[in-house]
Amino acid sequence: MTRKRALIAAACFVLCLLVPLVVDQDYQLNVLFRITLFAGLGLAWNLVGGYAGQLSLGHAAFFGIGAYGLVLFNEKLGLPIWLAFVLGVVAAVGAALLIGRVAFRLRGPYFALSTIAFAEVLRISAKNLTSITGGDVGVQAPALFDTHPSQWFYVSAVLLTALAFTVTALIVRSRFGYWLQAIREDEDTAMACGIDAASTKLRVLAISAALTAIGGGLYASQFFFIVPDQVVGLEISNEIAIIAMLGGAGTLTGPLVGAVLLETATELFKSWFQEAHLLIYGVLIVLVVLFLPEGIVGTVARVWRRRKAGS
Amino acid sequence: MEVKLWQAVQAILNGILTGALYSLIGMGMALIFGVMRIVNFAHGAFMMLGMYATWMLFERLHVNPYFGFLAAAAMLFVLGYATYQGLLRRIADRSDFMQILLTLGISLILTNGVQLIFGADYHQINFGLLDINVRLNSHVSLNLPWLLAFGITLVLGVGMFLVVMKSRLGRALRAIAQNRYAASLMGIDVMRIQALSFGMGLAAVGVAGGLLLPVFYLYPGAGDQFTLKAFVIVVLGGMGSIGGAAIAGVVLGIIENLTSLYWGNEWALVVDFIVFLLVLSLRPSGLFGSQRV
Repeated sequence: MTRKRALIAAACFVLCLLVPLVVDQDYQLNVLFRITLFAGLGLAWNLVGGYAGQLSLGHAAFFGIGAYGLVLFNEKLGLPIWLAFVLGVVAAVGAALLIGRVAFRLRGPYFALSTIAFAEVLRISAKNLTSITGGDVGVQAPALFDTHPSQWFYVSAVLLTALAFTVTALIVRSRFGYWLQAIREDEDTAMACGIDAASTKLRVLAISAALTAIGGGLYASQFFFIVPDQVVGLEISNEIAIIAMLGGAGTLTGPLVGAVLLETATELFKSWFQEAHLLIYGVLIVLVVLFLPEGIVGTVARVWRRRKAGS
Repeated sequence: MEVKLWQAVQAILNGILTGALYSLIGMGMALIFGVMRIVNFAHGAFMMLGMYATWMLFERLHVNPYFGFLAAAAMLFVLGYATYQGLLRRIADRSDFMQILLTLGISLILTNGVQLIFGADYHQINFGLLDINVRLNSHVSLNLPWLLAFGITLVLGVGMFLVVMKSRLGRALRAIAQNRYAASLMGIDVMRIQALSFGMGLAAVGVAGGLLLPVFYLYPGAGDQFTLKAFVIVVLGGMGSIGGAAIAGVVLGIIENLTSLYWGNEWALVVDFIVFLLVLSLRPSGLFGSQRV
């Protein structure tokens, strides 16, 4: 990323941070929180799914560990709330290393399948272990911010997205980032060039899991009350993956575009279709796979490059 | 002591009966994966369509589900053929990343489309046959609908196995599974055979859906857990091995019923996935070797 573009990006994030000075309605701030939060989650997923080319359909596992980590370390063990938050993120990294070790030994669809299986084990266990998690009845999440919560949650979501964006931008232009993209393009060739594919994939999954768990903790505290289906369900996993794919997997700004589009569309569809609002996810996935395999940003960038080369 | 032993026997017998249906679902998935290299994330959603078709026939036309399942299978065969020709064919040469996403999208459309049309309510059908139990002794009895489903599944499962192993179509299927390019050089119309095998794989879940209807709840998400179970079965049996999937289905049924007996029904799916993750980490080629289709 050039210096100029970095400055533009920084200016955009500062502008986003100033939004609460203008918007003061809780509902609007909550919608903005959701959009920015999922932009950050999409960026986190993009590291694994976009740059490393490993399709994770179980990011809800890390999201849920972040959410339940905050709640349980704080409520059950009585730890200070910010320490509990950090421990939730650490737990998610541990989980990522565990599942990565199993899943990355295999290629093809196995990784996607194992991530789903792992997330489902966590979800059903959280439902069943009612004495710890409250099960389907749910559990109350501690409040991270005492005053002006809507404003602060929105600001922290912007900061998470800025963090994920910066991490991605730094990784993409680093040696590590080139390893990831080499693995995505051809794992055998990458290994023949001396890249330790297993540990590279494991490390990027850990980074992605940490960012996702931060999002999970914020979400839990903002929502105030969580149940397993909501924070560890397949829906969350799908939502995160679709956002990145729609915007453009393997592009820096794709997840931002995807989050704005998908979350706005979901918000609109919720009032029209209520129960079946997930229909839009399915339609979008099919359309993207068939017509926009590089996502919106990826396709626009390709057309742009071609025009530039032509002129 | 003796009672406990009979409980275990009962659980194992129930496991075999449930497992036969799992086998059929898994065989459909294995056929599709073997021939097309596509992991069908819409497997359970198509099964749910089969259940709704059988249910509509029962509610509107009073067709007994034990005949209705044939119509569901026929419908799903056509739907599978059309889905392949209309959607899957267009991305045949893309990465499995894209293929997984496409079938996931189809699954979401089917589940939520059905929810939009029929609502999210649970349905259960009722007719005289359902309460009949066959007593083997004072501790062990078998439920007639499950026995019927088992018998039908056994016949169709063996039939499917024979088609794949003995018929001309089956030989073409296996040729494509081994090497798609070489098969096309031998004069096999790969696209047509793949469309047929996707149709056959879905017909298998159509049968399973129809047979499950009398003993299961019907709602738009009814198939979701079966997609996940089908993954477990296919991995357990060795990706793409139809015979392996048949055995793995029964194994999974027994594991689930024993889990239910000793730990409670709510842990059955957790144990499924733990078995799955263990197999992947210890013996990725599956429990029953690595032969394909």
